[in-house]
Amino acid sequence: MIPLLVLLLAQNPVFRDIAPAAGLTRTIPNGGTVTKKYIIETTGSGVAWIDYDNDGLPDAFVVSGPESTSRMYHNEGQGKFRDATDQLGLDRKGWGQGVCAGDFDNDGFTDLFVTYWGQNSLLRNVGGKRFEDVTAKMGLTQDRTRYNTGCAFLDYDNDGHLDLFVANYLKFDFATTPPPGANPYCFYRGIAVNCGPRGLPFDRNLLYHAENGKFRDVSKESGIEAPSGNYALGVLTGDFNGDGLTDIFVACDQTPSILYINQGNGKFEDEALLRGAALDENGRAMSGMGAAAADYLHTGELSIFRTNFSDELETLYRNRGKGEFEDASVESGLGQNTRFVGWGCGFFDFDNDGWPDLLLVNGHAFPEVDRLNIDIKYHQRPILYRNDRGHFVDISETSGPGITTGHSSRGAAFADFDNDGSVEVLVGNQNEPPSLLKTTPGKNHWISLRLEGTRANRSAIGAKVRLTAGGISQYAEVRSGGSYLSQNDLRLHFGLGSATKIDKLEIEWPGGARQTETPATVDRRLTIVERRP
Amino acid sequence: MPATSLFLIAILAQTDAGTLISRAAAGECDAVDAPLQLQLSNRDRQSARLAGLALAQCRIGAKHFDTAGPVVAQMEKEFPADPDVLYVAANYHQKAWNDAIYRMYQKAPASYRVDQLSAEVFETQGKLDEAIVEYRKAIAKNPKAINLHYRLARVLLQQSHEPAALEAARKEFVAELDLNPSDAVAEYQVAQILLAQGKKADAAAHHEKAAQLRADFPEALIAVAKLRSDAKRYSDAISLLERAVQVQPRSEIAHYNLMLAYRNAGRAADAQREKAELDKIQKPPDGEFTDFLKRLGNK
Repeated sequence: MIPLLVLLLAQNPVFRDIAPAAGLTRTIPNGGTVTKKYIIETTGSGVAWIDYDNDGLPDAFVVSGPESTSRMYHNEGQGKFRDATDQLGLDRKGWGQGVCAGDFDNDGFTDLFVTYWGQNSLLRNVGGKRFEDVTAKMGLTQDRTRYNTGCAFLDYDNDGHLDLFVANYLKFDFATTPPPGANPYCFYRGIAVNCGPRGLPFDRNLLYHAENGKFRDVSKESGIEAPSGNYALGVLTGDFNGDGLTDIFVACDQTPSILYINQGNGKFEDEALLRGAALDENGRAMSGMGAAAADYLHTGELSIFRTNFSDELETLYRNRGKGEFEDASVESGLGQNTRFVGWGCGFFDFDNDGWPDLLLVNGHAFPEVDRLNIDIKYHQRPILYRNDRGHFVDISETSGPGITTGHSSRGAAFADFDNDGSVEVLVGNQNEPPSLLKTTPGKNHWISLRLEGTRANRSAIGAKVRLTAGGISQYAEVRSGGSYLSQNDLRLHFGLGSATKIDKLEIEWPGGARQTETPATVDRRLTIVERRP
Repeated sequence: MPATSLFLIAILAQTDAGTLISRAAAGECDAVDAPLQLQLSNRDRQSARLAGLALAQCRIGAKHFDTAGPVVAQMEKEFPADPDVLYVAANYHQKAWNDAIYRMYQKAPASYRVDQLSAEVFETQGKLDEAIVEYRKAIAKNPKAINLHYRLARVLLQQSHEPAALEAARKEFVAELDLNPSDAVAEYQVAQILLAQGKKADAAAHHEKAAQLRADFPEALIAVAKLRSDAKRYSDAISLLERAVQVQPRSEIAHYNLMLAYRNAGRAADAQREKAELDKIQKPPDGEFTDFLKRLGNK
């Protein structure tokens, strides 16, 4: 019995926070640490991996609250980062919320979009040397102060130009928002806390279409602004019904989540309820925060995971096919963690066994919860689930100090930043420096794919990859945005288990063109450029 | 009825209700009890209402709960939305409750019922650790008492978010079932915990049993319907869910699952109908606070 136990424990990863040693040391200010008077202090902020200078090493971007500029850390290699914020001209301060990446001008350098309470920033990457704020020039100036949250570039009409979706949380201003305790929606377990989201006015989401070298607000004509009773946060794009068109899932706080199904004529319809992706299995709206997607069962379909509030279960919507979902949270092993407020999340194959595992980062919305002396705390540890052939096993307590240490975390983004074959996690922590969670690579094999569109958008956002190796077929999509207000590395990472060759690798580019590749070796990074006909 | 009594009633009926109420307020409750009782049937309902309130308060103040109760009940029946009547009713129940507790502590301090009651009070106050201690004391004193294990299990689930709490609670629900094998709710709770623990097959057996024990238990019907759906027996699932909706027409969970079951069976029109029903149920109720929020939203 004991040797078996030792063997089981030995299989678990040991994650450590290497952020201090790597040079990710600047605190991310985000509102109060003992009390938070306004809801705006609770929602920030996201993080991103973006290889802005195309040197093959993903750089780390950390969105900040108002007392600091958001930071860009250049990946110097050898596990070290250098703060390149000033050098790149990133000097804006404000209530930064989310971040998403994509090469919107198809010039070969990945651009950034940062959302704010207030005007957003479209940051054009100028040759990997600096970022230029082209928000106004590109037609993205907003008519009023908005509480912008999650965002994603997507090419919803497959014209080769990236469009942009921006979620809006609610209507907020400091002057008229009631103080803590002002009405029944300003209490948590009997203590006065910041008001909202309930009780604060809803706002509507935004869609910008790329046309004539600019973005045009098509929110109304596309149907994106139709849902009017949702507090929208995390944005997740994907072709959920397999019709070749990118759809948009939005995790919503205390209200039903939205699943905008792309109708193919420039219009979207929210079909979340009937498709089974709006509520939990009891027909109740959860407090959705972040979202991630993966083919975690190897069925060739993207299922959706959503983080929720404490006293709620996390939600796993299993895709039954054609974008019809069912709540599989409990039966998949996600039925026991109810004291965490989840935010950033992602599927990533930490042990490269070919089965996407799942990590979510947590932290309560209200620092005041610590006064209650209950088992729900403000600082909360992440949760790590191992995907055991489609069933998730919670291995958090035995996966090293990186997982057992608590923070008030929000954004989380995934990348193999040092190209060693294991995926690391960048985590944004409120009023602390970020965490960088790393584990030691195991013996399993892997491959990392960077896709480059030619007819499709250059970032290949929306491209689908089907890979078969070692008897397992995996499916993934290149995606902008996701997690909680965050951006993962645009490269796709596949664990291959013990397989030393890939039997089949097929890419379906946005627009439907298919391309088959036969990589000669594994354990390496591979760039695949879309073939011209 | 003797002639003297009839005479007395006639005299009392002529007495001004206002005077009686004033005397009651001045503490002359004993003297005005009988005339106030007569005023309850006064044709002037406002006078009857005031007399009833005064009479009830007099009897509650004197701890005559046995005679105060019928007056309060009559007043609630005749003036169901009257805030003064409801206030006096609340006052009566609170004082009667306190009085009963006091007597129980005085006369049967060693009874398991004392511990049970303490546990229930702690539970209401959110003092869950204390409630658990008291429930355990009650169980130790009377291991065969029904409902104690069930309530303890419920508090264990509320008290801790640790997965270990699930197992502790499951054991208590099982103990409840040992005492009362026909408790469908306890059976259902065991099933839910087993499901959360990943023991799907074991959970299924308990869900089936809960539905057998009580054919009108919507949650159990829904759980069994899910099992049928998993087995792709969609028409069986739909029958169960239609029954759940019939039993509890405003149940969100029943309508939601029926909508999905219709969808899974390819009955799109029925699914849309259920969706509309669910939309209707989930619409926030109209009321003062909703109006306030709407106004806030219009700012």
